[in-house]
Amino acid sequence: MSDVYVLGVGMTRFGKHPDRDATDLGAEAALEAIRDAGIEPRQIEGAYCGHVFQGMAMGQRVLAHIGLAGIPLTNVENVCSSGAVSIREAALSIRAGEHDVVLALGVEHLTSRFQGALTPDPDDVEATVGLTMPGIYAMRATRYFEDYGVTRRQLALIPVKNKANAARNPMAQFQEAVTVEQVLGARPIAEPLGKLDCSPVTDGGAAAILCSAAAARRLNGRGVRLAASSLRTGTVDPEPVSMTFEPLTNAAARDAYERAGVGPGDVSLAEVHDCFSIAEALRVEGCELFPRGGYLHAVERGEASLGGRLPVNPSGGLLGKGHPLGATGVAQVVEIVRQLRGEAGDRQIEGAKVGLAHCRGGKAAGVEGAACTVQILVR
Amino acid sequence: MTTAGEPAPAAGVAALLTGSRCPACGAAFFPPRQVCSRCLGKLEEAPLSARGTVYTHTVVHQSAPAFETPYTLVYVDLPEGVRVLGQLAGEARIGMEVELEPDEQLGFRFRPVGEGS
Ligand SMILES: [Zn+2]
Repeated sequence: MSDVYVLGVGMTRFGKHPDRDATDLGAEAALEAIRDAGIEPRQIEGAYCGHVFQGMAMGQRVLAHIGLAGIPLTNVENVCSSGAVSIREAALSIRAGEHDVVLALGVEHLTSRFQGALTPDPDDVEATVGLTMPGIYAMRATRYFEDYGVTRRQLALIPVKNKANAARNPMAQFQEAVTVEQVLGARPIAEPLGKLDCSPVTDGGAAAILCSAAAARRLNGRGVRLAASSLRTGTVDPEPVSMTFEPLTNAAARDAYERAGVGPGDVSLAEVHDCFSIAEALRVEGCELFPRGGYLHAVERGEASLGGRLPVNPSGGLLGKGHPLGATGVAQVVEIVRQLRGEAGDRQIEGAKVGLAHCRGGKAAGVEGAACTVQILVR
Repeated sequence: MTTAGEPAPAAGVAALLTGSRCPACGAAFFPPRQVCSRCLGKLEEAPLSARGTVYTHTVVHQSAPAFETPYTLVYVDLPEGVRVLGQLAGEARIGMEVELEPDEQLGFRFRPVGEGS
């Protein structure tokens, strides 16, 4: 089985793009990744496209736009992990020896499909009594405060950190820092969470070119190794479990560490799925990057900021960069590749060697979460 | 987690909620499932208790168009060992005791029981 490398990456500016569509955004990202990889488009042998709400043949529409129609393509829907799973599927096709060079794409034009709070599928029993995605995380935050004795004010430091990082990222939806007072004073969405604790509705595309070890050497010699790409689905627990620790995240992370041959202490930066402020705490603790219940204290000490011990969401994360569902998992890999290559500009983490990307999403009644990926990239 | 102490609804009184119970290992599930996630045994229908304890809560201010906001959501742990989501009529607190009541729009909701602890 071949090692897998990321040869090139590209993404659109994340934000509201009322005069563009998902095809157009996907094409821009794909063409940039091809250019970044320094390959000829016809060297791409297969493609995967992650999206959630874009309808039939999303990936085919992008390929048709960029002259690549004809190659094998699979569309991937795995809620907010869709883009991350397109990377995983691309990697598996390379490991299996089927392809040498593969395009992994994620796109979403969410502003034309959705407004307000995202909800589980309307058939789900919890949706029928009024569950929203912010509502789930709000209830986790309520319980997290109770279990660990931390405060709403400490939680507000997460959006403050991530929006400050986004202000250094020209591709991010938000370009301005916010204060703790602004986070606390924002319109309530699901208590204790307010508008600035929630990721926005975003349009965007992101793409990566993956290849085998042999192709990486032959093509541009500066690939970043994708050392693990792990996927788990949420379990149905035979009894109620804590909502302030994520066994799903933990299972995916442990699998990824084992496959990559690294531990949490080796990680130089993490891009984690901060769909809501509290989610970042649950994710990094689930990945064992910070002690359980200890993350908000670590954020307070600056450990997770740029320049800290372990910067979390240097790109701005979902809270700052934006969250175009299907594109999110690919965009995390875009950020890590740029950090590991030393090309992250104003937000460069010196000497970054190992990056972790965590993505998860979705909800069904009685299941902790629908899908979770943890990917580890090594320079 | 409490697993005993709360009587199931008396015979002849229909339970508001039905879950599943595993005859082999005793695990309970809500919503109902077909197969036990612990032992893979075939599950049976089981009525759920009407009273439980609030595990966590929120007040939702932004929701799908079908729901008038704000409303309170609670996750309630029932003595059978299942956690059920519902709306609560009133203000929520972790650990408070609540009970099910029928609701025209939602099918069921919770209401506070006395003063609780
Ligand atoms: Zn069983």
